[in-house]
Amino acid sequence: MKFLVTKELAHVALLKNLMVTVCVALFFYLGLDVVVHGYVLGFDVDGILSSLYGNAEEYIEPILIDSLLLQVHIDLFMSLFSLLILSSIYIRLFAELKSSKYLVHVVLFLGLLSPLLLMLAYFTSEVWVFVWLFSFILGHLLAMYMSLTIVKKLLIK
Amino acid sequence: MKHLKLYHIPIAYMLLYVVAILLTGVWLFLLSQGLASSDILSTLIHIANAPEAKSLHNFIEVATPHMFAIGTLIFVVAHFMLFSTKVSQKFSLRISITLFIVALLNIVAYLPIIFGLVVSGWVKLLDLGVFVLLFLVLLGMVAFSL
Repeated sequence: MKFLVTKELAHVALLKNLMVTVCVALFFYLGLDVVVHGYVLGFDVDGILSSLYGNAEEYIEPILIDSLLLQVHIDLFMSLFSLLILSSIYIRLFAELKSSKYLVHVVLFLGLLSPLLLMLAYFTSEVWVFVWLFSFILGHLLAMYMSLTIVKKLLIK
Repeated sequence: MKHLKLYHIPIAYMLLYVVAILLTGVWLFLLSQGLASSDILSTLIHIANAPEAKSLHNFIEVATPHMFAIGTLIFVVAHFMLFSTKVSQKFSLRISITLFIVALLNIVAYLPIIFGLVVSGWVKLLDLGVFVLLFLVLLGMVAFSL
């Protein structure tokens, strides 16, 4: 994380290009992460409810706690690294904006909250599925927005 | 460092993420050992007396991602101690290296059980406990330095 103390990014072409490429990679990662969760849990609310609680009419068993917890465990790890990288670069480039502080807070908070909400939904009620879905989609969209604004700032003067 | 205050936000969240990762990791391990209800104590006694049988394939499947994940996680968390003005780097180094060694031992602790060299799982439990405790100490040091 030595880039945090670099004085002027404009003069360091390698660093600038590296930040652009990592943000592009993270943008695609975040998009595909939504698709992966769609395949694991379902692409619509009915599918997610069937995956979590099972569906007697369609002979679908609820997801095993081991499988769900493993997904949550991996999600936390992946979110930590992807959002840490994104927020560090975003702070470096947009520190003068007042909204930066709130955006970084919201993105990191949602990244932490959504896996935990999924567990809460599994153990309690369907209401939390909607809260999880909202926080998961919003968190991913905001993180993708962050990566796009970083790329835009670095490429377009 | 320029705009130092804003960097405190991702670092502080990182601490919470790592605590959540540790908690889910321990929970996963206990589930793999037959944790069926909230009776954690009986599961721990069961692990100490006769841990669940695992194949070598199963061990490698679990150990491989953990070698990468725990190694990088310790590195990322511990490197923030370079910027600390409240904790000495010598102490940070000792904690980090000890944590790294304990983490490696924790990952491979199931091997003697698999090969039948050890019957009891208390070594695995001890390693896991020390690993979590040391990681919490490191996280506390980063939090104290913020």
